[in-house]
Amino acid sequence: MATPLRSIDWGSIAPLRLRARALADGVYAGAHRSLRRGPGVEFGGHREYVPGDDLRWLDHRALLRHDKLLVREFETETDRGLRLIVDASASMAYRGSQAPAAKFAFAALLAGALARIALASGDPVGLEWIGGTTVRPLPATSGREAFERVVGALESASTGGDLRLDAAALDQAFGAIARRAKRGTIIVLLSDLIDLPDEALDRFAALGLGGRVLLAVQVLDHDELTFPFQGTVRLRGLEGGAVVETDADATRERYLAKLDAIAEEWSAKLTYHGGQFVRASTSDDPAEIVRRAVSAVAGRFTHGHDA
Amino acid sequence: MTFAYVAALAVALLVAAPFVAHLLQRRRADERAFPPARLVAPSPPVARRRRHIDDRALYAVRTAAVLALALLGATPFVRCSSLALGRQGGASLALAIVLDDSLSMLAEVEQKTRWDRALRAADELVDGAREGDAIGVVLAGSPPRIALAPTTDLAAARSVVRSLSPSHRATDLEGALELAHSIVHGLPQPDRRVVLLSDLSDGHSDGPPLGESREIPLWIPLTDLAKPAPNCAVLRADRQRDRATVRVGCFPADAGRQRSIEVYAGDHVVGRTPLPDEAGAIDVGVELTGASGDLMARVTGKDAIRADDAAPVLATTGGLSIAIVADPAGAKLVTGGAPPVEQALAALALDVRLRPLPLVPDRLEDLAGFAGVVIEDPPGFTPEARRSLTAWVDRGGVVLLALGPHAPLAPLGANFEPLVPGSIGWGPSPAPGLDDKASVLFGSAAAGLVDFRPRGRATIDPSLLGSAAQVTARWKDGAPWLIERPVGRGYVFVLTVPTSPDESDLALRPAFLMLLDRVVDATRTRNGAYRITVGEAWTFEGAKSLQVVGPEKNKLPITDEPTRKVVVPDRIGTYELGLDGDKLTRVVAASEKEVDQRPRRVSPDTRASSLGDTRAKIDLSPYLAIGLLALLVGELALRLRARRASSVDAERAAPVA
Repeated sequence: MATPLRSIDWGSIAPLRLRARALADGVYAGAHRSLRRGPGVEFGGHREYVPGDDLRWLDHRALLRHDKLLVREFETETDRGLRLIVDASASMAYRGSQAPAAKFAFAALLAGALARIALASGDPVGLEWIGGTTVRPLPATSGREAFERVVGALESASTGGDLRLDAAALDQAFGAIARRAKRGTIIVLLSDLIDLPDEALDRFAALGLGGRVLLAVQVLDHDELTFPFQGTVRLRGLEGGAVVETDADATRERYLAKLDAIAEEWSAKLTYHGGQFVRASTSDDPAEIVRRAVSAVAGRFTHGHDA
Repeated sequence: MTFAYVAALAVALLVAAPFVAHLLQRRRADERAFPPARLVAPSPPVARRRRHIDDRALYAVRTAAVLALALLGATPFVRCSSLALGRQGGASLALAIVLDDSLSMLAEVEQKTRWDRALRAADELVDGAREGDAIGVVLAGSPPRIALAPTTDLAAARSVVRSLSPSHRATDLEGALELAHSIVHGLPQPDRRVVLLSDLSDGHSDGPPLGESREIPLWIPLTDLAKPAPNCAVLRADRQRDRATVRVGCFPADAGRQRSIEVYAGDHVVGRTPLPDEAGAIDVGVELTGASGDLMARVTGKDAIRADDAAPVLATTGGLSIAIVADPAGAKLVTGGAPPVEQALAALALDVRLRPLPLVPDRLEDLAGFAGVVIEDPPGFTPEARRSLTAWVDRGGVVLLALGPHAPLAPLGANFEPLVPGSIGWGPSPAPGLDDKASVLFGSAAAGLVDFRPRGRATIDPSLLGSAAQVTARWKDGAPWLIERPVGRGYVFVLTVPTSPDESDLALRPAFLMLLDRVVDATRTRNGAYRITVGEAWTFEGAKSLQVVGPEKNKLPITDEPTRKVVVPDRIGTYELGLDGDKLTRVVAASEKEVDQRPRRVSPDTRASSLGDTRAKIDLSPYLAIGLLALLVGELALRLRARRASSVDAERAAPVA
């Protein structure tokens, strides 16, 4: 289902340009500091080793001195491509009673904003899809036309597909990124994370190997976050065919607990792999979400891996 | 189609209301899309309970309630085979139900006894009574009794009717109807009625028709009860040596065809005699072989009434046994034969077995078989005779002591103590005849004693008789003629003249027979006859303790009167009595009148349709109303249960996994 994009309050986002953060420096311009730390020319400090780090940067001297595995970090100037993975499965078409738009529309808005920010900084932006119909993946490109292409691809996409039944949907998106994304690439997943296959988290976390930066933005509807129903309700999942009749008042807390459990699982796993997790509601101010997403990515480069 | 029908149909449409309401309630919740539906736990108690059996029960209850409401609005009537009284302008009714509880009502017709049908009819009559009606119940078993005095408490009437049980009594329809009329006659209800529920077989089929010229109308609804049911009854059985005489009654007369009388000693048949084809009421002799112990006479085969198919065989006659102690020389008649007192007792046919004795027995055991003793002109009693006689009287024996010229001639050591204290004289009567007060005792027969002139009379000092003694007849000069005196449980009659024709013509006067009848009656009263007809009473004068156990091993209620105890058995069979420590056996026999099942004629007015109907219109409204209330209570209970179940499920669902 094609979902029209809502106009974005660029004024609140424009101050968040990557360039203005003074943390990144594009491959092309080289004037910005990279969003990530890694191999480079200027020493940027030490951090503890985590599995997956390139053993070439292991500081043997520090190991002998402190009896700890420490990795040397450098502030490098490299290509900081942004790869957007947008969930266009059927569940993303949901729009609650109080939501300004469907989840997909909100996710597309966020994707477009992030792409604009990245493109404004000269970073290439690529687009991959999970599920969806009439979707058009975009390779990482930059330039003035890139933003239009990204927005055009987002506008022309339709939601559809059942990810719990379509195991190949992940392969299509994650496989392409795993093969093509370079070190330092920022991978942003925009999804409700509800109906993703069970292995989705592990596979997304695996994308963080090789110096890539992961960010998962969970886009949920206000109804999904609050479960506002009362009395007996009959709920039909948009994927998986689940139909549940329940007493909303009696099961609200249990539902919210499960929802939080999913977020905590993603957050913990991504944090472990140096990624970030952001939860968004379609009722939230999209500029604030973009700001948090940019901040999360920027923080990753500023402070290294979060514990 | 009346308005009531239309209204009922309109209300009946509401039958669909619970169904619609149920569907509305049962309507599935609106299905709505919700992507994380798989994260939502189903809650069966709330979401599924509408499909649960509880809901169906609730639906059924509500539907039934509305249906009952619709029917209630229609005030339905049904016609059923039930008795209903006709009312004159809807006025309150005073009703006397005469219920025949005699033996013949136990006849089974179509697997139901007549009694059952009559009792059910009485119950229906009580159920059909309205507030303000008065109901009384009279039992027609002889003697008629009032089971329930007229009352407007219908619940009490219903309770009494349902507690009634049949008896083996004879039937006294006339007495019962008279009693029934008397109990409703003075009641304020403008409409009064007597209902007779009987088979009409009272042994007087040729009597005047029932219900004629009565102020209070008589209704006899159950006419089919009068259909005769073939039956044979063993009325009584007596054994004399190796022969038993069994009194059998059959109705109709050929009911005894191919049937026999068998006498059992335990389980063994010790004698058998076929009944003649036309039996009627006859005595059947049965030769006994090897008979010992208690014997029982039975009529073979099956008939309508089982209760009267057997009777115990008594070793002696079942009637009273009275000994006659008279000097053969002094009391003999010129014409020969037994002494006049013996002949008079036999002539009265009081079912008394008479046995002449030469002397008063010295041993109590020899007197124990007698209920009474008539002693004619004794010359006093020896100490041994006095001792045995005193003990025997004390246990209920009755003595008629006719003093004569031998009284003052008592030999040394002999006297009349304690029956007559003091010395007894003999001499000519200074004044002939008895005073007028004798009429109290003898009625019109007392006139025959006005000029009574015996050769002599005994003289007794009344002051020595004690306060318990009563002079019931006197000579004209005031001297005692007849003295009655209780001694222990027994009773003593002292006559101051002998019965010998040589001394007087007393035996020829009607008052003498009345005197003997009085003595025999006292004998029955004091001893309790060995065999009585059902419905008669055992009366034990002076008894201190009495227990009576019936043939069904049930204790009979004892009526305590000031000087005696009375028991009225209403079942035929053998009774065990405990009388002042003595164990006695008594027998109650069926009434021969009950064998005759020819119905009593009735007036055609007793079948008038205005009196009532045997197919009543029953208003179902009260039952529907009660049913409706029950359904409402059921609905409340179901809803309460559902609410409890809901709260329990909520408590279970509260903790988050």
